[in-house]
Amino acid sequence: MGIVSAKAAIIQNSDILAFEILPYKNHPKEAAVDVMDKALAEVGLSREQIDRCLSTGFGKKAVPYADGVIPDMICLHRAVRELNPKIRTVIDVGGHSFAAFNIDDNGKISASAITDKCAAGTGKFIEVMAKALEMPVEELSRASLGSNNPVPITNQCVIFAESEVISHINDGYDPFDIFAGTASAVAAKIVGLVKRIDVNEEVAMVGGVAKNSIVVRDVEKKLGLKFASLGADPQVLGALGAALIAKDERESASQSGTQRLVG
Amino acid sequence: MIVAGCDVGALTAKAVVMENGEISGFEMIESRAKAVRSATDVMDKLLRKLDLSYDDIHYCVGTGYGRSIVPFADDNVSEISCHGRGAKWAVPTIRTIIDGGGQDCKAIRVDDNGFVKDFRMNTKCAAGTGRSLELMAESLGVEVSQLGPLSLEASDPVVLQEPCCVLTEVEIRHLVFEGRDSADIAAGINDITARRILHLVRNLGVKKDIGITGGIAKNIGVVSCLERALKTTLVQFPVDPQIIGAVGAALFAADKARKLRSLA
Repeated sequence: MGIVSAKAAIIQNSDILAFEILPYKNHPKEAAVDVMDKALAEVGLSREQIDRCLSTGFGKKAVPYADGVIPDMICLHRAVRELNPKIRTVIDVGGHSFAAFNIDDNGKISASAITDKCAAGTGKFIEVMAKALEMPVEELSRASLGSNNPVPITNQCVIFAESEVISHINDGYDPFDIFAGTASAVAAKIVGLVKRIDVNEEVAMVGGVAKNSIVVRDVEKKLGLKFASLGADPQVLGALGAALIAKDERESASQSGTQRLVG
Repeated sequence: MIVAGCDVGALTAKAVVMENGEISGFEMIESRAKAVRSATDVMDKLLRKLDLSYDDIHYCVGTGYGRSIVPFADDNVSEISCHGRGAKWAVPTIRTIIDGGGQDCKAIRVDDNGFVKDFRMNTKCAAGTGRSLELMAESLGVEVSQLGPLSLEASDPVVLQEPCCVLTEVEIRHLVFEGRDSADIAAGINDITARRILHLVRNLGVKKDIGITGGIAKNIGVVSCLERALKTTLVQFPVDPQIIGAVGAALFAADKARKLRSLA
């Protein structure tokens, strides 16, 4: 349960059966129910057939059917370990926050950096600028890849940057050049955070912003590397990790012959 | 001698016409991104109301965010000087002016003669500004003008945690969802706004008398939070606190007009 979108993943053993992403605004409980119902419908299952369900993310406590809650970073770590054990640095950029962490050679989280005090460098920043440009984020990201003259956006604050973008529009700048500048500003902010920890390869970017091609390109350029592939939608990794941990708990509970409850 | 001041802010444009040291009239409109249009529209509206034409204005000073592009202004003066000058004219005992504007918030110190001595301003973050109040009101689903009156009915004000007003939107939506009372949330919104403003005021140093100008001055909830924290009553301006900057600009215009006349 993110701040702006709900994600559900259903797995059997370690294989993903279904996943769903549902953007929402005001009603986290309804969104949590809807997104799971959609994923269940996809594979023709009912909620009773799910052995164990864990929730994570900003709204993890709003998931009425979850058997427990797990912190975000633990879920991401679990999913990344499953998908690509060679990953040593994970960058997670979501709707309203971003985080980065290192994984050591033993597979443990060794260092982390989180920022949740300012919306600069998050999906929200991109969304507000796209709204000012009156175009969908996806279209802007694609079309701005070709921009040769990104317009620098100097303000970090979403509100100040919004007026900066509006003045650029009024000054007649090309919207794709403005968006390319926005992406570059977001990328710079992300790189600034990542550099608080070590950037050890291989590196993976996850979260909704990892689907934004121009931001991904700019972050890669600034870090001087290419992100490793995970082979899954980067936005559902938190949900996938929660499912994997639910499976782990279920297995260890059946091995010891007792029911262990978490949360 | 008739002079004018035009304050083109980030969210509203204000115009004031003064004659012989008295305010003849004022007007205010929403401005947003179109600074030149806003300046012209607000002045046109005021002149129509007063039955005057641009030719009747001896001198006009522009101020505010869009001060350099007011097409009919003879000169422009920074909004800090204008708020200082206007506030001192309205309340001569004032020494600290809090200007709670649309996109910026300032604490201004004026000396006994009304000259600006020092100021503090938010530069990196929009928390504590009118725009942040608007965004938070929108998340709560009320008009920004309702935040003040609504907060007076609060019985158990919420304490908002997020320092960023953009992230606060989410916090507010969740509080609404949890069924918290709107009045309690409104009180929390006013409180976090006042805390950001206080940060600037304390950094500048508190010196009485203190007054608040700009749109935020009209939010009784923020004003009473500030009064409680500063342990003093804020001064009552005899004019709309949102036009103080434009009044200051008109006063500077009167100086210039007098100087021009003495040279002629």
